[in-house]
Amino acid sequence: MTRLSRRAIRTALVGVLLAGLLATSGRAAGNRSFLAGLKHHTTLASTVPANGDQNPYAVVVSPVTRGRLVKNHVLVSNFNNAGNLQGLGTTLVEIDPATGSLRLFASVPQHLPGCPGGVGLTTAMTILAGGWVVAGSLPSRDGTTATKGAGCLLVFDADGRLADVWTDPRIDGPWGNMAAIDRGDSATLFVSNTGFGVGAPPAQGDAAPVRRATVLRVDLAIPRDARPKLQNITVVADGFGEAPDRGVFIVGPTGIALGAGGAIYVSDALGNRIVRIPDALTRTTSAGTGTEITRSGLLERPLALATAPNGNLLVTNALNGQVVEIDPEAKRQIAAQWIDVDRAQQPPGSGDLFGLAVRPQGDGFYYVEDDVNTLVLAH
Amino acid sequence: MSGVTRLLAAGLATAPLCLPSVARAQTDSTNLLGPIWGLRPWLGQYGVSLGLSEISELFGNATGGMHQGAAYDGLTEMSVGIDLGRAIGLPGGTINASALQIHGRSLSADNLDNFDTISGIEADRATRLWELWYDQQFADGAVDLKLGQQSLDQEYITSANLSVFANTMFGWPALPSYDLYAGGPAYPLASPGIRLRGTAGPWTALAGVYDDNPAGGRFNDDPQTADASGARFNLDTAALFIAEIDFAPGAPALGDTTTNPNTPSAPAALPSLYKLGAWFDTASFPDQRSDDQGLPLASPLSSGRSRLLRHDVSVYGVADQMIWRPDPAGPRALNLFARLMGAPGDRNLVDFSANLGLVLKAPLPGRDNDTLGFAGGLTRIGRYALDYDRDVQRLDPGSYAPLRSAESYLELTYQYQATGWLLIQPDLQYIFMPGAGIANPDEPDTRIANEFVLGVRTGIVF
Repeated sequence: MTRLSRRAIRTALVGVLLAGLLATSGRAAGNRSFLAGLKHHTTLASTVPANGDQNPYAVVVSPVTRGRLVKNHVLVSNFNNAGNLQGLGTTLVEIDPATGSLRLFASVPQHLPGCPGGVGLTTAMTILAGGWVVAGSLPSRDGTTATKGAGCLLVFDADGRLADVWTDPRIDGPWGNMAAIDRGDSATLFVSNTGFGVGAPPAQGDAAPVRRATVLRVDLAIPRDARPKLQNITVVADGFGEAPDRGVFIVGPTGIALGAGGAIYVSDALGNRIVRIPDALTRTTSAGTGTEITRSGLLERPLALATAPNGNLLVTNALNGQVVEIDPEAKRQIAAQWIDVDRAQQPPGSGDLFGLAVRPQGDGFYYVEDDVNTLVLAH
Repeated sequence: MSGVTRLLAAGLATAPLCLPSVARAQTDSTNLLGPIWGLRPWLGQYGVSLGLSEISELFGNATGGMHQGAAYDGLTEMSVGIDLGRAIGLPGGTINASALQIHGRSLSADNLDNFDTISGIEADRATRLWELWYDQQFADGAVDLKLGQQSLDQEYITSANLSVFANTMFGWPALPSYDLYAGGPAYPLASPGIRLRGTAGPWTALAGVYDDNPAGGRFNDDPQTADASGARFNLDTAALFIAEIDFAPGAPALGDTTTNPNTPSAPAALPSLYKLGAWFDTASFPDQRSDDQGLPLASPLSSGRSRLLRHDVSVYGVADQMIWRPDPAGPRALNLFARLMGAPGDRNLVDFSANLGLVLKAPLPGRDNDTLGFAGGLTRIGRYALDYDRDVQRLDPGSYAPLRSAESYLELTYQYQATGWLLIQPDLQYIFMPGAGIANPDEPDTRIANEFVLGVRTGIVF
């Protein structure tokens, strides 16, 4: 048996074990709150690279040391350029959480052949065990959706070199944080798309939601020593609300997390709820908007999703500075914690939060404050 | 003397209570020069940030004053900040240095002779150091200590709503401006000192002690002449103690955790911020009526040297309350503010000053970052100064010497945020009883007539 095969089997076993843990720990979690144990919020680093890109969105912890990637370092994408125009950010930065040091991991040209509309890096990002980084682009030319393009999925190698660009009629504005299952020689990604039918933001007031946002399952083959290959794309959910917005560019489903039994959870921002998409790993047709597991309460326009060590979901709010903990099995909201209390916004922290990622040690989570371009650790 | 940094911050960036909930302008650069061809982010890697801004304004008085006319004035502010966490691995440490280049003429001094000078940037022409301090945070930022030369108008007696207005007395109030040595450590001056601040949930407390006299001269010396460079770092005169407690009802603390999620959140109350503070100065202050021999200062037999009274004290309160927000997620909001300040009337020319007004954010459709403001203020003469006026009338009945009372003023202003880096602000002001009713130096048998002032201010962040 080759080393790669052994690694693939080991990775698959770990994946199965994790899935099993997720399935059981969620039920076992009861009402114990992960958030209640977190007392400190430590700013680790600025997320602004040398080219001045701003507005950090995606937060992903590297599972591997390979190339320029270092295991447990945090990779962050920037959605805005140095002029603070949304949908024009082109950089991924790697931060050592122990020292707060930052270095540029990858930078791509604004106008990238093969990526319709250019590059504006979103919350959609994942790092595979082989060191491949897949990141979403929802680009604009003027900082608004008036000039947005369909974007693409970008593939970087472990040294931050652009390896591939994926487009497809079913990809239009890959936006929300990715959920991924990595088997070593293959992987399955879930990513939301919020670009279909979205036009310019209105001069005043709120745009009427367009109910065309989707969640895709993207199946990859990962050949030995070669870049991942896109095998299949399946629409596993659709009909979510999406809308252009003058302040925050676009509002649509922004969070995805893996659930038990091949399900995924999706944050429906405009619906102010979390839904479950059953059999997302295997289904061949869309589940529509799935089944609701919780709505409103502590949720204030939910964004990125992550799974806490106790199996509960963590989701950041757009309209205040809170993160909310949800027991997905019991379909109950467990707790909410203020992680950004900046009173320059009302409610405090409103519009500041986006991506988050649980620390591998399981004792906290990383999140970004996109108004001040920093990475913070709650622990 | 108002805080220029706050002025720009309010107009060109963010301001508490006036902000939209989520519609932060991320579609527009907040700097004219952007990254300055990579310089700004390159410096940012080492924790260094640069600030450069220019306020230029043209004001004229169409009626009243000593005479009518117009004047241009401007201010260039330069600053360097160093995040010591990034620079040398000292998390929570910040160094800040700022300098001012003040140009043009002062309409208030040349034409108006009023207490409530019409622009917070009016000052003697100069290029001078302003602030130079080191701040260190502790306990995840809940506590911080600031050491060095500081301008008190940047932190004390402030209100984001007040800073919308151009008139000086909506910034650093009239009372300390006229009652403290050199007008106190406030724009364009600053004093060495130390300040401790702590925040817990809705409460913030800050207290500091500073040298009370930035230039170190006598009470009536011109401090801007005595310390033209701002680098005197005077520590030889008395101490000014100041403390303030801020309360923002309902404001959460970092880490506050709700574990009762089955009850939907109560509708958030409209935000508010209340401040209560006081200062105490250990210096001696000139009696406003009597000389050092006990004679009236107005007497021809007086030595002309005021009797000195030990110490001075003042208390103040500031209230900001949002009173209307049609859409919690929208930018439009109407805010009410008030500020009151009092001090003893024997040793202080001004014993009471007040501000009251309304600020409407996003007043017009599609203008989320514009602000409309209407406010007024009052500056009252202390009772001993009033007695001095009576002494003058009694002892020199042949002269025209009206009794002073109070000066009041109204201001209507509109901040038009043309781009993220350019602010254009047309402004109207009306001054009632200029100088609290003093005689017009150009026409000594009449009071200075009420003044109608109009102008426009521009602010550019480079």
